[in-house]
Amino acid sequence: MIRRMLVLLLLFVAVTLAAQQQVSVPDAEQLVGAPGGKPLEGAALAERTQRVAAEIRCPVCQGLSVADSPSEMAVNMKAQVRALSARGYTQTQIEKYFERSYGQFVLLRPKFEGVNSLVWIFPFAALALGVLIVFVTMRRLQAAPKNLKEVQQ
Amino acid sequence: MNRTVLISGFLVTAALVGALFAGLGRDPRNIDSPLIGKSAPSFALKTVGSHEVLDVTDFRGTPVVVNFWATWCRPCWEEQPLLTAGASALKGRVQFVGVVFQDDETKIQDFLNQRGSAYPTLIDEGGKTAIAYGVGGVPETFFLDKTGRIVAKYSGALTPELLEKYVAEVTGK
Repeated sequence: MIRRMLVLLLLFVAVTLAAQQQVSVPDAEQLVGAPGGKPLEGAALAERTQRVAAEIRCPVCQGLSVADSPSEMAVNMKAQVRALSARGYTQTQIEKYFERSYGQFVLLRPKFEGVNSLVWIFPFAALALGVLIVFVTMRRLQAAPKNLKEVQQ
Repeated sequence: MNRTVLISGFLVTAALVGALFAGLGRDPRNIDSPLIGKSAPSFALKTVGSHEVLDVTDFRGTPVVVNFWATWCRPCWEEQPLLTAGASALKGRVQFVGVVFQDDETKIQDFLNQRGSAYPTLIDEGGKTAIAYGVGGVPETFFLDKTGRIVAKYSGALTPELLEKYVAEVTGK
């Protein structure tokens, strides 16, 4: 009787383990290739996880990174950042992994390419235009009294 | 100088207003996904209420509708009868698959027992599949053609018209 119960128990465990082993989720290696760096652990892993997670936007939050948000989505994404860092994936590879699914929206710091480059260029262009306008206006103002004196003379 | 500034200001404002008006005409739920046109991330997940594991690649050769949902999401409740009816009506032609997003298996089982379902529902532990699909909220539905390529994505509860439209896109009919 006991032997039969043990066999059934082993069978149940084997079936459960087999089912668990078959579960597979999309792997980073298929999407962004093999890890480009060394596997990390301990303090180095914690530091890398925090640094990379701070650059990834939480898709269900308002402008928060996955490092800062307490939402389940952010927690899951941060766990993935940690798992990928532990396997030796670089920051660029991890960002590429998330970008592949969410697009550049998921990056808190937009890349300098395409339309996004305007985000970087526009403030400097606006500043340069402002300086030019001030410069031209001052030149005109300086020239104006001189002309007036000339007219009065 | 004043005239130049006025014209420049007018042109910049007109461009901004034009861009805003162009945005108003778009369906806010029809969000672009970088995955559209690409091969869908493959996954094999445990089915709710059993130890059976279902591999989505087993459905290659048949268009697949992958619906990410949760019992805590009210629009998912509204959408579920439509998907169930669609799965029954299109049985053998289109495969429907539900993937549970941040939820408890017992709650899902109770929900499905009460409301019924005509397609498998899978558990996504840790949300890795949802992340690979770029899911930001539920419901989100992906439409895969028979080769496993993502043809369309819709964020929000589907309507019969939208379901019909996207199914036509993946079946080519």
